[in-house]
Formats: sequence, C-alpha cells, structure tokens
Amino acid sequence: MTILLAFSPHQDDTGAVELACQLARSNNDSVHAVTVVPQAWPTAVAGDTDRDFKLWAQEEGEWSASAARDVLAEHPDIVSEASWCAGRSVPQALLDRAAELDAGLIVVGSGDEGPHGKVFLTSKTDRLLHSSGVPVAIAPQGYWSGPTGRVTRATLGFRGDDATWSLLDRAAEICRRVDASMRLVTYAVRGRTMRPNTVSGAEEMVHQQWIRQATAELKEAVEHLHSLGFTDDQVSSEVAVGTSWGRAMDRLEWHRGDVLVVGSSSTSSLLQRVFLGSSAAKIVRNSPVPVLVVP
Amino acid sequence: MSMSLGEQLKRRKPIVFRQHHHEGEELARNLTTFQLMMFGVGATVGTGIFFVLSESVPEAGPAVIISFLIAGLAAGLSALCYAELASAIPVSGSTYSYAYHAMGELVAVIIAGCVLLEYGVATAAVAVGWSGYFNELLDSTIGVQIPQALSTSFIAGPGEDPTGGLLNLPAVVLVFMCMFLLLRGATESAKINSIMVVIKLGVLLLFVVIGLTAWNGSHFDNFFGAGIAGVTAAAGTIFFSFIGLDAVATAGEEVKDPQRSLPRAIIGALIIVTTVYVLVALAGIAAKEAGWFETEEAQSAGLSQILNDITGTTIWGTVLAAGAVISIFSVTLVTLYGQTRILFAIGRDGLISRKFTKVDAKTMAPNFNTIVVAIVVALIAGFVPSDYLWDTVSIGTLVAFSVVALGVLVLRRTHADLERPFRIPGYPVTPLLTIAACVWILIGLPMTTWVIFLAWLAIVMAFYLAYGRRNATLNTYVDPEEIAEPRGKEDQ
Repeated sequence: MTILLAFSPHQDDTGAVELACQLARSNNDSVHAVTVVPQAWPTAVAGDTDRDFKLWAQEEGEWSASAARDVLAEHPDIVSEASWCAGRSVPQALLDRAAELDAGLIVVGSGDEGPHGKVFLTSKTDRLLHSSGVPVAIAPQGYWSGPTGRVTRATLGFRGDDATWSLLDRAAEICRRVDASMRLVTYAVRGRTMRPNTVSGAEEMVHQQWIRQATAELKEAVEHLHSLGFTDDQVSSEVAVGTSWGRAMDRLEWHRGDVLVVGSSSTSSLLQRVFLGSSAAKIVRNSPVPVLVVP
Repeated sequence: MSMSLGEQLKRRKPIVFRQHHHEGEELARNLTTFQLMMFGVGATVGTGIFFVLSESVPEAGPAVIISFLIAGLAAGLSALCYAELASAIPVSGSTYSYAYHAMGELVAVIIAGCVLLEYGVATAAVAVGWSGYFNELLDSTIGVQIPQALSTSFIAGPGEDPTGGLLNLPAVVLVFMCMFLLLRGATESAKINSIMVVIKLGVLLLFVVIGLTAWNGSHFDNFFGAGIAGVTAAAGTIFFSFIGLDAVATAGEEVKDPQRSLPRAIIGALIIVTTVYVLVALAGIAAKEAGWFETEEAQSAGLSQILNDITGTTIWGTVLAAGAVISIFSVTLVTLYGQTRILFAIGRDGLISRKFTKVDAKTMAPNFNTIVVAIVVALIAGFVPSDYLWDTVSIGTLVAFSVVALGVLVLRRTHADLERPFRIPGYPVTPLLTIAACVWILIGLPMTTWVIFLAWLAIVMAFYLAYGRRNATLNTYVDPEEIAEPRGKEDQ
C-alpha cells in the first residue's frame, strides 16, 4: 500500500513525515510525499503574462520534492518517493493525487499554528476530512517517532452504537495486520446541570448510568475482540471520565507508539466520506497522539 | 417473590453511597446566601404569576392578596422541611427519592404520582400560558393571530361554553422545541438563569408601576366577599406559582454553612417572591374590577391586556408579552428537564421501565425518556384547558410537600442520629405547621380536582401493582453498588 504524505516544505514541523514513516514501517508500506503548488490559469493568457508565475511554481514544486527526499532520507528503511503537483485547492489536489497513486492513507501535519504536542485541524485538513474516501492520519504538532518507531497500540473511541461496532471490526483488522494491541475507550463527559436544578444531582445520576452502560458495552466489545483472536495482553478497555473532553482525554495514559482511531460521523456515512462528528472533533482536538480518522 | 405485599410496601431503600470512581472531579462550590436566594427567586417567579390572576381572582375576589400570603407561607414552610430532608439524605432525585429512603415504597409510589403532576402537568400548564402570551405578542407586533381553532383546546373549562378550538398548537410546538433542545444536550446555565430573573422581575415591575397608576379604590370594596372558602380555594390555585422555592433546598449542598444560609436564603427568596406577587395582584385588582378576570379577555395574556387597557397603547402590553414569552420558554425547558430526570430516578429503582434510564451514546442524555415525556406533556398541553391544570399541579405538590414535612418528623424518630447539616428551626412545630397549612389549602381545593387526583393515584397504584412491584430493583439487587447513590454534588 502507498501512504500519501502531504508535504509542506516551508514548515519547521516534520510531524507528518515522522508519522507517515512510522505507519509505513508498521505495515511495510511505501511513502509518497506530495507537495501542491499553485496552479496557473488553465486558459491561455494574452501575452503569456503568467509565464514567470508558472516557472516559479514549477521550480517551487521541484525544490519541495527534493526537500521531501532529503527529509525522508532520514528514514532509510522506508521505500519513499517525492513528487509535486499543481492545484487550485490543496485538499482537492491531494485527493486527486491519492486516487492516481491508489494511496490507501493520507498523512497530514498539524501546521504551525496549533499548540505543541496536540493535534490541530487546519482549514485544509478540515476540508480533507470532509471529502476523503480513504483514512486520514493527522500528526500532532512537533511529533517525533524516532528512526525505528512503530505503531504499538491503537486507542479506539467506542460507544456501542452500530457505527462504532463496524469501526471496531475495521480497526481490529488493521491492528492484526500491524501487530498492534487495542485499547477501547468510552468517554463519559459529564453534562452541565440545568440551572435552576430542581432535581438535585440530576446530571450525576445520568452520568453514572452512562458509565454503567458503557462498561457493559465495553465488556461485550472486548469479548468480541477475543473471539477475533486477540489475547488478553492485546486488548484493554477503559472509561475516560471528565468534566470536559480535554480532561477525559488527559486521564488516559498515553505511550510512544500510540495512535488514536476515530470513526467518521454516522450521519454522513451514506456519503461514504470522512466527516468528523461533534464528539469525534472534540476527541481529535484534544489528542496528544496521532489520530487516524477512518471513514 | 418471598416478600409479602405489606412488607414490600413498607420497605425502605437503604442509603448506600457510591464509591468515588474519579477523585478530584468535584468542583468546589461556594454559593453565597445572596446567590442562593436569587437562585430561589429565579426558580420560582414566572411559573404562575403571569396567568394565575385570571384563575384565582374569580375565586377569592380582592382578598386574593390574602390567598397569596397563605400560599407563600405554606410554600416557605414546606421549603424549610424540604431542606432538612435533602440535607439528611443527600441523594440525587427529588421528593420521590427522599420518600423512598425515609418512608418506604408505598409512600414513594404515591409521591412519584404527585411529583409527575408537579413537573409534568406543570410543564403543560406553563406551555398553555405561554401560548396566550405568544398569540398576544404576534397580534401586537405583526397583527397576525393564530386562529382560535389552533390556539385553544376543544375541551371547555368547567361551566364554560364550547371553545370552538381544536388544539393548542403553540403550546404543543413549545414543548417539542424544548424537547429538541434537551435532546441536543442543551442546559440553562446560571448566567442565562440570571438574565431570565432580570427579564421576569423587570416586566412584572413594569406591570406594577403602570397598574398602580390606574388605582381605583372601589375595586377593593367588598374585600372578603368570597368568604374564607374562596380565599383558601384561591390559595390552592396560587400555590402552583410558588413551586420552585424548593430548588433552594436542592442546592443546599453547595453552600458553606447550610444551617445558617439555607433558612435565610429560603425566607429571603420567599419574601421577595411574595412581595412581587402581592404587588402584581394589588396592581391588577386596582386596575380592573374582580369581575373582569373571569372574562374571555383576561384568560389569555391577562397582564398584557390590563396594560393595554390602562395606557391605551399596545407598547407596554407588548413589552410584557415579549418578556413573558422569553422567560416562560425557559421555565418550560427547566420543568420538562426536571420531569425527565425524575422519571430517570424512578426508572433506576425499577418502578417503571428501565428504558427511561437508557442513556444515548451520542448525546449522553436519556433520549427515549425525553421523547416520551415530551409527547405526553404535549398531548396534555394541546388538549387540556388550563382551568384543569393549575389545580392538579397544586394538589400534587401540596400532597408531596405534606409528605416531606411528615418525612422530617418520621426521620427524626427513626434515624435520630443521622447527620443533618441543616436542622429545621422550631422542631416539631414547624413541620407540624407545614402539614397543617398544606392540608388546610388542600381541603379548599374543588371536588373535581380531588376526583382527578385520586383517579390518577389509583392509576399509579395499579401500575405499581402490575409492574413496579415485580420489577423493583430492591427485589433483585445483589451488589449494593446497584442501588448506590452518587455521593455529593459533582455537577459542573
């Protein structure tokens, strides 16, 4: 399988490169770095006035590709290539290129704007997530996996509905392939209480019930994974409790080699596109490890 | 089933607290007495005052002012009793949960029936009142009114002519709007609550100021014309508008020194609320003679009508209607929410289907519960005229509050050494007085209301015998964790 790496030469953050190589190493894949440069007008312009622009774009593309090769050379064990293409929209150009290369995964970074160590969705990533038919992996800002880093564990947000059950099977399949263990997590984020609270402890009551329900669902999911051949060492489950998504995420322990897997919103599954639901978006924004968004 | 029915009816739910799953999650909350008091004002004002005059003035005449004082006194005493029970048994839920712990399953089931009236029917009643103000607002701003057929129920009030209506569509729409908000996990924050308090008090003061300019002393002639029976009957109807004062008691855990703060907050809130109500009643009667409140005109958006008639313009009536539409909306949301959470507590005990405790994975809220409650409340709001609703709510609440006062007496005897962060002052006189006040008002309620109430309780009991008795969690639980209550408040 080919992993398409969205490469941006002007950013210091090489998190996306690190992640792409880590994923490729885990599954014996190859990495293809692609840089998108601005496209000139497709129609002829009088006097060819945009010739210089075209030349600049071409030079920029070639320079980027060579920069990508240099960075990828730091991971000599990975089969890699680099190329560039011109496009009016970066996300669309990446999607087109992914289709051409028959890539099974797109890897992007968090840009330079987000907080260090967290996943940040740039507007381009957001657009990519809205329209990608293949999984998209996002590296946290400043991510580093090391020259031998592999994916060792996938953390899956599990909430027991049909959408997450089907995601569970797909994630399990990937984990089996890359020999990673699985951790199933259900988030229990306590809702805010209505003011005036005419029923005391009302939200606590609902919250506790949800934890109970989630624990039962998780148990069932773990049994399902056992039936697929996962051993006790390879599966764990947890309920992440908190007063906000960020706190719930912080309560989980994270290790090097962890990847967070989230599913697309069940509402748009008809379109078979990756589109983050509101909970998934919150999970992604608070993730300290790379995120794999599966359609 | 080895347990006899008698034993089962008497058995109490043991008080077991859940071990903490997540330490360090509690948010230190230190409400001041003043904040707690305003919280009580916010929870109380607006449930009934916008519509209650047209129901109560025909019963008591100008002496309705005394009715307000009686109802206020009973509500204040009840709130104090409520506060002691809530502090002695700090479990989540409402009167129902306290009753289950203190007085056993039979009383809990009866209280459950009462509380369903207190919240469920109250939501419908408030929605019906909202509908009147909404129509008034539409009429005075864009000159359009929802036709009679779609804004009135087809059932006529007692002794009234056919309404020409079909269903109260705005009330139904309001209930469903609130349902959608709740399904999306919406909550009313403390901030919004404060804004609502300001709006409610603002428009009521506007009414008082303008109403008093049209003072006509002759409207107070024959003050006690309706007699003491009329005054108590009206107090029964009015009692509804004091519901919410008990919200102060449920917030008792959030104050530093409940023994000192709780009574001050409850009494402070009571004084403010009663003053506002009495002023509104005074201004209303000063402006319009008692007979007017029985007319068709007074039935919907009565306070706005009075302002329109006094000032000769629709400006102030419109302002009041707008304030009412906004604030009653929030009252509907809060009561509907309260109802879903009470059913949640009952479902947890297995006395109704556990589907009511199923939490949706996406919204982390009890969606099935919310939808069922909204449908039932919408049906009541759409088809039952307000005349039947107010008294039904009052009777349920009064009975529930009497039982709370009784609970205080019982618990002091059965669990004398239980830690009580708040002990009611003047024991045992205060709870006895509470029961006396509630019973006195209860006796004054019309026969129809009693018939409806007893019929409802019979249905509740029948349901209990057919379903709840067999499915109660207390029958089957093995691990105390199954019936454990979350300890303390960990709300955000």
